[in-house]
Amino acid sequence: MASVSLQHIKKVYDNKVEVVHDFNLEIKDKEFVVFVGPSGCGKSTTLRMIAGLEDITGGTLKINDRVVNDVEPKDRDIAMVFQNYALYPHISVYENMAFPLRLRKMDKEEIHRRVCEAADILGITEYLARKPKALSGGQRQRVAIGRAIVRDPAVFLMDEPLSNLDAKLRNQMRAEIILLRKRIDTTFIYVTHDQTEAMTLGDRIVIMKDGYIQQVGTPQEVFDTPKNLFVAGFIGSPQMNFLQAKLVKKGQGEYAVNVQGITVPVEKKHAQVLEQKGIRDMDITLGVRPEHTTVRFDNPENAIESTITVNEMMGSELHLHVVTAAGDNVILRLPTVDLNDATRASLAAGNKLFFNFPGKVMHLFDNESTDSLVFG
Amino acid sequence: MSKKNEIPEVDIVIDEQKGVIREVKQPNLRSKAGHERRVNTGIYILLVLISVIWLAPFVFLVFQSFRSYATEDGGMVAYLLPKQWSLDNYRWLFNDPKSNFLRWYGNTLLIALFCAVIQTVMVLSVSYTLSRLRFKGRKLIMNVVLVLGMFPGFLTMITLYFLLKQLGLTQQGAIPGLILIYVASSGMGYYISKGFFDTIPKSLDESARIDGATRFQVFLKIIMPLAKPIVIYTILMAFMAPWGDYVFASYVAFGSEPNYNVAVGLYRWVNVNDYQGYFTRFCAGGVLVAVPITALFLALQKYYVEGVTGGAVKG
Amino acid sequence: MNDLDYLKLTGFSKLGYKLKKFFTGIPGRLAGALKGLGLWFVKLFRGIGSALADLGSTFVHGDWKTKLSYLVMGFGSCARGQWGRGILFFLFQTVFNLYMVNFGVAYLGKLNTLGTIETYREGRKTVYGDNSFFILLYGVLTLFFVLAFLYTWYMNVKQNRVSEQILKSGKKLKSTKDDLKSLMDEQFHKTLLALPTLGVTVFTILPIFFMILVAFTNFDATHQPPSKLFTWVGWDNFRQLLSSDNASYGNTFSQVLLWTLIWAFFATFLNYFLGMLVAIMINKKGIKLKKMWRTILVMTIAIPQFVSLLYVSKMFAADGLINSFLMRLGWISTPLPFWTDPVWARVTVIVINVWIGIPYLMLIATGILMNIPADLYESARIDGANAFQMYKKITLPYMLFVTGPYLLTSFTGNINNFNVIFLLSGGKPLSLELSGNAGYTDLLITWLYKMTVSDTNYKLAAVMGILVFLVCAVINLIVYNMIPSVKNEEDFQ
Repeated sequence: MASVSLQHIKKVYDNKVEVVHDFNLEIKDKEFVVFVGPSGCGKSTTLRMIAGLEDITGGTLKINDRVVNDVEPKDRDIAMVFQNYALYPHISVYENMAFPLRLRKMDKEEIHRRVCEAADILGITEYLARKPKALSGGQRQRVAIGRAIVRDPAVFLMDEPLSNLDAKLRNQMRAEIILLRKRIDTTFIYVTHDQTEAMTLGDRIVIMKDGYIQQVGTPQEVFDTPKNLFVAGFIGSPQMNFLQAKLVKKGQGEYAVNVQGITVPVEKKHAQVLEQKGIRDMDITLGVRPEHTTVRFDNPENAIESTITVNEMMGSELHLHVVTAAGDNVILRLPTVDLNDATRASLAAGNKLFFNFPGKVMHLFDNESTDSLVFG
Repeated sequence: MSKKNEIPEVDIVIDEQKGVIREVKQPNLRSKAGHERRVNTGIYILLVLISVIWLAPFVFLVFQSFRSYATEDGGMVAYLLPKQWSLDNYRWLFNDPKSNFLRWYGNTLLIALFCAVIQTVMVLSVSYTLSRLRFKGRKLIMNVVLVLGMFPGFLTMITLYFLLKQLGLTQQGAIPGLILIYVASSGMGYYISKGFFDTIPKSLDESARIDGATRFQVFLKIIMPLAKPIVIYTILMAFMAPWGDYVFASYVAFGSEPNYNVAVGLYRWVNVNDYQGYFTRFCAGGVLVAVPITALFLALQKYYVEGVTGGAVKG
Repeated sequence: MNDLDYLKLTGFSKLGYKLKKFFTGIPGRLAGALKGLGLWFVKLFRGIGSALADLGSTFVHGDWKTKLSYLVMGFGSCARGQWGRGILFFLFQTVFNLYMVNFGVAYLGKLNTLGTIETYREGRKTVYGDNSFFILLYGVLTLFFVLAFLYTWYMNVKQNRVSEQILKSGKKLKSTKDDLKSLMDEQFHKTLLALPTLGVTVFTILPIFFMILVAFTNFDATHQPPSKLFTWVGWDNFRQLLSSDNASYGNTFSQVLLWTLIWAFFATFLNYFLGMLVAIMINKKGIKLKKMWRTILVMTIAIPQFVSLLYVSKMFAADGLINSFLMRLGWISTPLPFWTDPVWARVTVIVINVWIGIPYLMLIATGILMNIPADLYESARIDGANAFQMYKKITLPYMLFVTGPYLLTSFTGNINNFNVIFLLSGGKPLSLELSGNAGYTDLLITWLYKMTVSDTNYKLAAVMGILVFLVCAVINLIVYNMIPSVKNEEDFQ
């Protein structure tokens, strides 16, 4: 049970390359925090600094209000699950899980009790006598988690634990981690490059890029109110569509966006923010999520004309890749449940299609700073 | 992978230019098999030839060691099979008061055993440190060793000799002296085992350290059990090397015959003493040295192969 | 030339282009290496400079315990309760002082002349004077000791400063028990490296340093301690070995060097390609008894070389098995000059070396061949490649790529391949054309051995050792950075 506090944490390699810059984050007790970002964004390095596997170049790291910058990993009261499981290949599953307890000179009975309990929680009791080599990927990851939970650590670190599993197993293990978290109820810090994992697991998500924190927030917050272009593009699948557009001030507290020949009024609430910032007419990047678009088969007023290039059948919905008259690529999502055969046929590649979207789903980004004009 | 002269195995190909699928005449299957058989026969012949060349000297060596010293000459002769098989030479090695062979054999065995233990500890310490631990000066150490390795080994021979002499470890003290110089710098030969350690995932160490192990415990409880092949390789190499060393051994033990190792003793029989008289004895001694070493080597061949191939690939 | 132009070239001009690039790049690479060395020295001197500055400021700002530690090593540590470290520092200082007073100073003082008092005979008694050898040896040892002392002394001062800072910030110092514990954990590398470093310093670095100095003295058969003195002569020995007038070894040296390089080339590449060939044959699909063939070949590795090579050398002798056999068959009337004709001897050692060398390469190649992804061959077969094309386009490039570093070490290893030459030919045949007792099959290293052991011409042996080092170093510098797989060792991890 512990809080973790990172203040101005910095990591520089070989006196040259700075890979984590001024990282500030307060993690509350029993919180599940996910670091997410593309590879090389510094998320794993940050986690490894918390674990004590990398030296901290600058700043202060506290676990439970104790400064641990120079404390050895074994004395930080943390446990960590690695991407490649890091099971000790020469000893049995049971011994793997007992290893940290034996090093702490725990009583034999107690070790046995804890290992059995953890094995029971993870459903690996029948494999206890086996060597790790004889297990499947999913089972190995369970053992790795088991080795971490027997210790009852204050902070639970996970470094891309599901990346080596295939898609189906990954979904299953994801669900199990959610259940596990309910049972052992401690502080979790979880690193992943997969935004779906981040969204489904995290109480809070820390989105990183190039060693900088881009945004910290609940899954809902980062999805609804991305602070910049990167977060907007990174969270959500399929990716948010970006179009070049013009923001026009229509009057006191009234704005509209001109894009691809149509004009969409900005929602009141957002317009007020723009007004406060004193924003006038400017070129912007407009972001619209695929699921927020409406596909129109008729040709209404204020809809963007486009040509279908690819039609991806996903089962419950279609992903339509279209190209607008201005040459921009856009992805649209269309539920399949209400489609009749004729409409389906009209969605073949090469056919024309119209789409539009309401003002409230628009994300407006400054072209230069790439920051959101509304959120942040 | 197959090295045979290949014939396309597909019998239908798509001809892109004409846009049609056309059939390719399937080559006669019997001729293909025949070709294959001819290639293999050729290879077998070559391999048998190579085997003969490789084994012949050793077979000859064994034959000559069994030649009767009493009725045939002890020197080199122009025929292979002894006219009379006998154990004369072996008997002489073991029983004759003029023969120091057993003594030499014991010396060498003693040196080899000590080296096998101490050198292995040294090599594993250095290679583990350079592979798994990160500390200031690590690169410097590796560069220094690289540079030192480019100096020819015998350059320092006289210095070593006088250093040993100061310690009283030459002539009568040659055996501990030799052990000392074999072992002292052996840490420099860390490349191959470092290469092996490098292949063990780093996350095992990290995981163990988070689990509460000190670096010493990681070394002892995690890495060493996983490094069994390279430990055996290192022991094997350390054990075998002293059997073949002539140069240092002869220099350090110079003039003190009871303190020779087998290489020095036998070399002097054929090159310094009257070799016509000692040749078959040399053969017998050679057989006695080669047989156990070869047996040991062949028994542990697997580890040796792992070591050299790993080492070559990793550099 | 850009990439596309290069791709348009035919195979032959590609090779030409690469060779040109290789040779024009040599000066650059050497210059780069020298620059790297220079930078290293700059860094070293800067480090010394900042260490001196530290010493000054620590003395000015330190408390009395620290100040006293400048004189009595370990005082500060003991005074602050770190008994373990303090006592070690103090002991080291005591030993050093005793050594210097009783021993070291005397040798250091004579280092510039290497001794002046001659040994002479007084009637039947010999009165020993200075021993140049020991003056040089212990002089060097003392120098090493002084350096070690200075470093330790600096560490002792630094220790005080760090301790003061820690105490000031309100933290506790490490106890002796903590120190011992950390030697098994954070400082584990020190524990593991202590013994090997000591061994290498005393038995490799010190002797090499000593021999480099010997190259600048006249230490040879006529200046042999303890009866005779030797002294510094500057670059004379280098001149004698390298210049080509009659009294010098220049001609012989260049001949031996040339042969050494030829030998290393054949010993490396002939073994490499033949070994690969044998490996390919043994591993071919459909060949049975793979393990047996391998084991037979490996016999030459298993059997100690002094047995196998000595025996084979006798087999090829004038009265050896081969000659007498051929004579009995009536194919020849006089023995073939395996060890007596220069060309015959050179070819013979190269050929016999194949016998020794193929098995290593066979094993290495086998390991690598197994690692080549099978789908490369499958796709090549579908593209219509035949066996030879697959070898040329897949097997060979792959092998060369992975064994690049091995080839380099094996080349320098063969330059120093003492055993094969020494046990087979002993450097023979000798010749009046060659000076310094060198023979036609002598490598630099066997010649060096002869100079040391038979001629006791230590000064030239030392020069030769330095030159062998330079040859190896230059080859390494030129080739090393071109090998793709050595560029980053961490890539493998």
